[in-house]
Amino acid sequence: MSNETHTPSSDFAKEIASIPGGEVINKCIQCGICTASCVVAYVDDQYRPRRLIQKILIGKRDEVLNSDQPWLCMTCRMCEERCQEGVSPAEIFHAVRVLAAKEGHIPKVFQNTIEKVLCDGWMLADAYTDFNEDEREDLGLNPALAWNDTFTKKVKKKYLAGEESA
Amino acid sequence: MKEIMLYRGCTIPVRLPAYEAATIAVLGKLGVKVVEMDDANCCGAQYVESVSRMAFAAMSGRILALAEKESKDILALCGACSGSLKINKHFLDTDEKARKEVNELLSEEGLKYTGKTRVRHLLQVLNEDIGFEAIEKAIKKSYKGLKLAAHYGCHVTRPYEIVQVDDPENPTIIDRLIEIAGAEAVDYLGKTRCCGGPLLAMDESLATHIGQDKIRNAIAAGAQGMVTACVFCDIQLTQVQFGEDTDSSKMIPVIPIVQFLGPALGIKEDVLGIELNKTNPDIILSALQGAK
Repeated sequence: MSNETHTPSSDFAKEIASIPGGEVINKCIQCGICTASCVVAYVDDQYRPRRLIQKILIGKRDEVLNSDQPWLCMTCRMCEERCQEGVSPAEIFHAVRVLAAKEGHIPKVFQNTIEKVLCDGWMLADAYTDFNEDEREDLGLNPALAWNDTFTKKVKKKYLAGEESA
Repeated sequence: MKEIMLYRGCTIPVRLPAYEAATIAVLGKLGVKVVEMDDANCCGAQYVESVSRMAFAAMSGRILALAEKESKDILALCGACSGSLKINKHFLDTDEKARKEVNELLSEEGLKYTGKTRVRHLLQVLNEDIGFEAIEKAIKKSYKGLKLAAHYGCHVTRPYEIVQVDDPENPTIIDRLIEIAGAEAVDYLGKTRCCGGPLLAMDESLATHIGQDKIRNAIAAGAQGMVTACVFCDIQLTQVQFGEDTDSSKMIPVIPIVQFLGPALGIKEDVLGIELNKTNPDIILSALQGAK
């Protein structure tokens, strides 16, 4: 155990607060209603949103940015609904994800899916087969989905060039 | 006839096209004509959303602008799509700088976002645009002696301040529709909990536990089936019942709200694509009685 003291407004907390969605982090009083409301915490005893926010507040920057935990939030917002202080852990973890991704810490599955979506214009191009086309025709639906990939390629170039190769 | 523009999203055309077909048939029967949106792109939910605020806003912004060009409101059948479109509409409506930036990108193809288009989740169309009274009048046959659990979908109902569909902790629209069609809506533990779907990418086993817990709680409350209003939830609550360690005798049908309402409105099962469902819907369909 180290002797370092923690103030609940570390540089890392300030950094998170400067990213849209992270502004409210310093309102957290660590009551734990988020963890009590969290269905991920209910099935995974390693996942504790209150504790993750505490780690941000006390400045555990590397640990938080390298962790998979901010990526486990399902953004169901049950905690946000119940928080008495107006804190949204979903928004805070979103701010963490944006920062982590900028520094190259992004789970492979997110990286691959983003690449796919921006390249094809939609998520399931590879899964769309003749079988699906027949099924749609049988249901009286148009089998030609006409997705646009020009715009998503533009979005990639403008906002995410380099990120997915990090 | 009022027209609304369907944004299909990525998942429906591949994984649950019957939901799309049933929606078109049911809304048509209730006086709302569904026209489909072409040349669309993914709304950016969950993945792009996680790494870039502006990329996410641009992707949803383009979808909103496509509907605006046709002067139509958007219909979304997926919680992730309706949530993303509403969150980005709110963002673009309140952040002038972001709106300008997105419009610069859109102007290259002659599109513009001004905020005129409304985003309607299916439950809003049923509850607000059509209304319970009109639906009740259109019911031709009633379900009898059938208990069903409603699952709303987190992104359909939260955050309330932005999505404004139903009470975020005590939603009632699906329950009301279940009862209008003659069945009994049962309350169950964890009714507003997530289906686990958004966790599939990161941890399939945890995601499955969450979904299975939901199904178990519904069965414990006496539910004989689960009624959904999001493609992602529907697929997730279906597939968790097919795991290796599941008891097939304890399986319950999972059915989108429109496939449930359709037969009661006198729409043929094949139009609704019910035979394509992976969970056996017989217990629901056999509860349908003659004229109400």
